Amino acid sequence: MKKLALPDDILMQIDKPARYIGNEFNSVKKNPADVDIRFAMCFPDVYEVGMSHLGIAILYDMLNKREDTYCERVYSPWPDLHNLMKERNIPLFALESQDAIKDFDFIGMTLQYEMCYTNILQILDLAGVALESKDRENDDPVVIVGGPCATNPEPIADFVDLVYVGEGETSYPLLLDLYKEHKAKGFDRQAFLRDAAKIPGIYVPAFYEVTYKESDGTIESFKPIYDDVPAVIDRQVVKDMDSSSYPTKMLIPFVRAIQDRVVLEIQRGCIRGCRFCQAGMIYRPNREKSVDVLKEQARELLASTGHEEISLSSLSSSDYHALGELMDFLIDDCLSEGVNVSLPSLRIDAFSLDVMSKVQDVRKSSITFAPEAGSQRMRNVINKGLTVEDIIGGATLAFKGGWNKVKFYFMLGLPTETDEDMKAIPQLANEVAAAYYDTVPKEQRQGRCQITISTSFFVPKPFTPFQWAPMYEAGEYLRRAKVVNDEMKAQLNQKSLKYNWHHSDVTVLEGVFARGDRRLCPAILDAYKSGCFFDAWGEYFDFDKWLAAFEKNNISIDYYAYRQRDLDEILPWDFINCHVTKDFLKREWNNAMNAKVTPNCKMNCNGCGAGIIGSGVCHNAR
Amino acid sequence: MRVRVKFAKTGIMRYVGHLDLMRFFQKAVKRSELPIRYSEGFNPHQIMSFASPLGVGLTSEGEYMDIDLKEKVDAASALKALNDNMVEGLEITGFKYLPDDAEKCMSAVTAASYVVTYKDSKDDACYIDNIIDLKERFFDESGSINIVKKTKKGERELDLKPLIYRFNLIIKEGVPEYDLLLSSGSTDNIKPELVIKAFHEFIGLPEFDELSLDIRRIDMFTGEPDSFVSLGDIGDEH
Repeated sequence: MKKLALPDDILMQIDKPARYIGNEFNSVKKNPADVDIRFAMCFPDVYEVGMSHLGIAILYDMLNKREDTYCERVYSPWPDLHNLMKERNIPLFALESQDAIKDFDFIGMTLQYEMCYTNILQILDLAGVALESKDRENDDPVVIVGGPCATNPEPIADFVDLVYVGEGETSYPLLLDLYKEHKAKGFDRQAFLRDAAKIPGIYVPAFYEVTYKESDGTIESFKPIYDDVPAVIDRQVVKDMDSSSYPTKMLIPFVRAIQDRVVLEIQRGCIRGCRFCQAGMIYRPNREKSVDVLKEQARELLASTGHEEISLSSLSSSDYHALGELMDFLIDDCLSEGVNVSLPSLRIDAFSLDVMSKVQDVRKSSITFAPEAGSQRMRNVINKGLTVEDIIGGATLAFKGGWNKVKFYFMLGLPTETDEDMKAIPQLANEVAAAYYDTVPKEQRQGRCQITISTSFFVPKPFTPFQWAPMYEAGEYLRRAKVVNDEMKAQLNQKSLKYNWHHSDVTVLEGVFARGDRRLCPAILDAYKSGCFFDAWGEYFDFDKWLAAFEKNNISIDYYAYRQRDLDEILPWDFINCHVTKDFLKREWNNAMNAKVTPNCKMNCNGCGAGIIGSGVCHNAR
Repeated sequence: MRVRVKFAKTGIMRYVGHLDLMRFFQKAVKRSELPIRYSEGFNPHQIMSFASPLGVGLTSEGEYMDIDLKEKVDAASALKALNDNMVEGLEITGFKYLPDDAEKCMSAVTAASYVVTYKDSKDDACYIDNIIDLKERFFDESGSINIVKKTKKGERELDLKPLIYRFNLIIKEGVPEYDLLLSSGSTDNIKPELVIKAFHEFIGLPEFDELSLDIRRIDMFTGEPDSFVSLGDIGDEH
């Protein structure tokens, strides 16, 4: 029988013990003695969240295709287990072999959201690995991070040895080959890091020196300390999605994951250019997979997993060139076999409604719009190319098709937002409700329509045209939510409307981290030591502890979140080349200030800089 | 075409709960490409039902699941196809076509057999010298075993005696091992830990901890006490 790292009495007293036993169908079994490199791939959040993540699935499969490497998985132990592991000194282990990860060659972590930063420290702490890079010795694992937040890794610079900037498919083979060479000749940590720094996309924070201006505390210079370490890190981009590594098998967790279905990535990047959206900028250029490759991948994945649902993954599925053909294939080939097709947020039009009516129970499901802003002016500022006619027209079609539930997603606190823009949110919802009562005759209605409005608070992100924008204090966000709520109550159809909004403290913290620099590291360390982790989970988020950690380390929230940055300021992430140029971002910032819309990449090339990659939409257009 | 699948759940799979196990089997059946029948309606689901759920922490050699097939397939190859889709700790041990009048495993089960021992060979129970004699007095032909059973509605008095069909005890390498046959199913479902707890109280052991027990379900039965039939003995491979 397979051994487990946790004793029976612990497994019997914690919540969901199956999170920690491994043994999932399609998990990879190798003999650790047969490999050169042991890699612990961590998602620093709870199992059900981490097991749903496509990026980890791709890298797990890709790394395990190498005979010399055994990649295993690790997730954050839930606080109940965390306490028991600390109490009894049980080191954090990988799920497959159940071996302690402090003996591994690499600990890799993905940074999907800023609020996981303390969970990185939790993983290192439970593993028994020094929390700061400077304290690690030759026989400690190499700690590497990647993922979207690695486009500004500075707030966690002290904790990691390497940062992989960009898409993992390209440089991991080089990095692992290099590691093997170094291991064979007797591993010297500093020498390895020095060589790794020369691999495209690999950033070694310890090899850079930052100085700050005495006048205002902004960055004065950001430079490598060695001549052979690059001053600029090029974000890695897969050129051809068709030939890029994609798993034919996916793990089947026992505990139900958030994504309990086949996830098929149909394209990377987005042509739209919404000005608040980091993914829409950093994943440029938009690169599609061919429809034949997708059909084959869908077939294989359904057969190897036994999932009864398949979902398409992309930033904007409606823009995929052969969506009709792909949907026809999925509906004809899969639906008959008891497999459901679930649709990610599509543009609501006649085509998508037709598809949805085939795959969903219209009476139970709802239609989702993400206009992100209520007024046309505001939508022009954020470059969300959606008009009120599109929304009312789409909703009317949906009502005719039998739907009576509509969900709306908006953001509050966007640059230039006025009270009129806030009020436009419930007004738009009211118009949609009115369209329902105009469209559906009384005798066909099943009660009222339900229009749900959700708002989140806007957080400016690096590498977006809004990266210079100021945020607001927590109280101001709540005031804005109240403006929306009050205006909603003044609407004629208010009984058909429902409004949800988010907490604002966590928004401010996310804002500090998103545009933070390495001066935040000591504060994050102190916050973890004072008990902060699982900050993304409301029940564990403790803002007061964070404020105390900031105060102790002289961190000003005002400096990181609330101030308007100068367009010429050196930003902490300027050393990364995301291909989208700063000139383009500045141009887009100015367009935003003038509420001027920029056409999407298929209509017109706007010279963002991503064309240098020489593939995807930029290449096709030429 | 109804089929009864028998399987064993052992080793580390003891930590996987019943709902998670059901979801695992839905996907395993799908992967094995058995022609399983789906329910009608907008959200079709596989026609699949399980006999009595096994608690987390327990292992079993005699678990059952009934499925409905659209057409007949070769039992031996179906068994192999299913086993190719299992994980360590789950093994398919039977695949039999049920007669038309066979009751569903879920409602058919009336009794279950267990072997119970102690996880720790230093458990207090291992130091009771006359435990076999005490067992004879506990499970006496004429007596009753009254306990207080906690239910969702509160507490109720219950005589366990008529619901225990077998209570044997042997000493194996110094550790008591119980061999039990207990009433099971929807009406009088008696968990083995409840019986051992009553025995512990009878022999005067303090503070019973059900996690100290290692419980293996051996099989499940249908019918009446004098003529129990294993759920796995119903139907045949053709």
